Amino acid sequence: MMHSDSLFTALRRSLLLGTAVLTLGATTVHAQSDTDLQAIEKDLNDVGTRITRLQDLTDVEIVQDAYGYYVDKAQWRSLAGLFAEDATLEIGGKGVFTGKARVFEYMQTGLGPIGPRKGGLIDHQQFQCLPTIHDDGVTAEVRCIAFVMSSGGWGHNYYEDDFVKEDGVWKFKKLHGPFNMYSSYKEGWIDHVIVNTFPEKFKPWPDLPPTTIYLTYPSYYAEPFHYPNPVTGKAAPTPSPRAGGEAFGR
Amino acid sequence: MKSPLHGFSVSLGILCFALAGTAHAQSDAARVAALKTRLAVLAKETTQVEDITKIQRIGRSFGYYTDKGFFGEAADLFADDATFQWGNDGIYKGKAHIKELLTRQGGGSMKEVAGLPFGRLNLRMQLQPVVTVADDGNTAHARWREWGLLGQYQKEISWGDAIMEDDYVKDNGVWKISARRYYQNFVSPYGDGGWARLKPVNNGQVSKVGQEFPADVKAEPYPMFPVSYIPPYHYAKGKPTAIMSDAPVNPPKRADDKIGKLETLADTKALALGRARSVRAIENLQAMYGYYVDKGQWQQASQLFSKDGSYEFGQSGVYLTPAHVEKALRLMGPKDLEAGQLNNFVMVQPIIDIAADNRTAKARWRSDVLLSRAGKGRWGGGVYENEYVNDNGTWKFSKLHYYVTFWGDYDEGWQAKPFPMDPPSKESPPDQPPTLVYESFPTLQVVPYHYANPVTKEPHKGE
Repeated sequence: MMHSDSLFTALRRSLLLGTAVLTLGATTVHAQSDTDLQAIEKDLNDVGTRITRLQDLTDVEIVQDAYGYYVDKAQWRSLAGLFAEDATLEIGGKGVFTGKARVFEYMQTGLGPIGPRKGGLIDHQQFQCLPTIHDDGVTAEVRCIAFVMSSGGWGHNYYEDDFVKEDGVWKFKKLHGPFNMYSSYKEGWIDHVIVNTFPEKFKPWPDLPPTTIYLTYPSYYAEPFHYPNPVTGKAAPTPSPRAGGEAFGR
Repeated sequence: MKSPLHGFSVSLGILCFALAGTAHAQSDAARVAALKTRLAVLAKETTQVEDITKIQRIGRSFGYYTDKGFFGEAADLFADDATFQWGNDGIYKGKAHIKELLTRQGGGSMKEVAGLPFGRLNLRMQLQPVVTVADDGNTAHARWREWGLLGQYQKEISWGDAIMEDDYVKDNGVWKISARRYYQNFVSPYGDGGWARLKPVNNGQVSKVGQEFPADVKAEPYPMFPVSYIPPYHYAKGKPTAIMSDAPVNPPKRADDKIGKLETLADTKALALGRARSVRAIENLQAMYGYYVDKGQWQQASQLFSKDGSYEFGQSGVYLTPAHVEKALRLMGPKDLEAGQLNNFVMVQPIIDIAADNRTAKARWRSDVLLSRAGKGRWGGGVYENEYVNDNGTWKFSKLHYYVTFWGDYDEGWQAKPFPMDPPSKESPPDQPPTLVYESFPTLQVVPYHYANPVTKEPHKGE
């Protein structure tokens, strides 16, 4: 941006240097240059940190998107490889699975054996990813949509995931997938929707109970946002369970 | 744009390199001054790439807010005097009217802070942005696609399809939407053949909400599906800066002194920034390609390929050079499509890897495909493994390869009625046979991954 601090700083320093060249002798310029060089190095590294954050946004989304592509084809070993050793996984109402090994078990035992099966479509598409890199540069969060087109029909869920950067590599720290809507293909979401899973619905059993108990469509549930409104900087309000109905006095 | 900031910055960058090349002949003071100029350019260009990501964030937030009835939050993404054109209903002015418009269209309540009533579905996915930040860094434009899953439990179920063209303004350092033109293409029933059997509507037909809560100003009417209408592109004229990045350069050899070390540091940062900019340029390129393919703009789509670029779709073989790519694309339908034809190739889920030298790139993407031909709807899904080349600062496709996962009948679904892929065309035969022979659904093919596992760094060798 034209008015960024670093640009101003740079311009100001250029000006200072120009003045120095005009008014002082060459030896003084050399002495001034040393402080000047340190300042330039600092400014270059500061802009470098901003550039790293830009790449971090891309890298975090890559881990999330790679997860989706691995689910598509039941590549569970590759998928589990995306998680930190002590990561957790919670999808729908099934409860929490702790550690990389349990992530693998959840996938393989819960969702089916490794590799694609003829006639079994499980496309787990990742849409609309909104990553946030925190100021510490080593933790991040993402909100993302999984839009499912499968042999069973439609699915729409969010991900609100946490990431950690370990040895320069972004990994899942917490995968959290609240459901929005699951339905068959034939009728769509007009009726007979699946309102959520639950701990005993299928094996394996979870390590911890669900962090939230909720019913999804046709009931209302809004997963909290990890980020404030990008324009106002304020957190979203708590939704009202009374919203709608007689909205306009009808 | 006449003199894009980007072109200016690139030229300045090259100039700096040129200056640096003669570093030995220069005084230290001149070298330090050149470094400071580079620093200023780096800071400015970093801001420009950050701006693209901030605008993407606003657009995606809009979707997350409207999904769950946070209509006040969605309206807060707009400037105080912003405008919102909703299809043919007209233009709504100011945040208060935008909030009420979104609330009514989404089925919420103006009496409650946020939320949706039992049984209301308002999932509006915000996809495929092309973001262009203007020269001055204070205004920007974006094109988006909205794909909606809408309904009322046990009463109503429908699909929504729309293209948006937005203007943005940077107000006190914060980006906001200053104008949105929401070109609704259709709201179609889920049953009865879906969008494929929609009947023509009169231009300028106003929705139920538009009748109950009229717009502030009329809008220029435009035709909706089944007419194939192309909402105007903000990047239609001149060079599309959205697909530009730094031209590749050979990093110069720097002097072995204190200033030389800083010059090398600046070279490193400039390359890192160039690569970060290239990620956004390739996102924009893939999205632009998708919008052209949507509307049967085969020539515009093929012009996004490099002079020896290749195109391969399913089992139809490989076409080489933009002229042949255009020929291949034309197999999908006539130029600009006929009424009743829908050709939506939604571009999503990018994994973009820019080469270390910023000269080439690879990316995996996927498309959901929503089609209509002769009154019949069709679903499709598949994965791209594409390659790109940085052609003197403009990114182009050097290879586009779409692997079909499935084709499926709309009425019965992909599970009950999948279709096989088309064989190579006899009418416009390919230059080369398919590079990989495979079958689509119900058979499933693991499309080769161009990347190693992003965490373990191990190449994918099967499970």
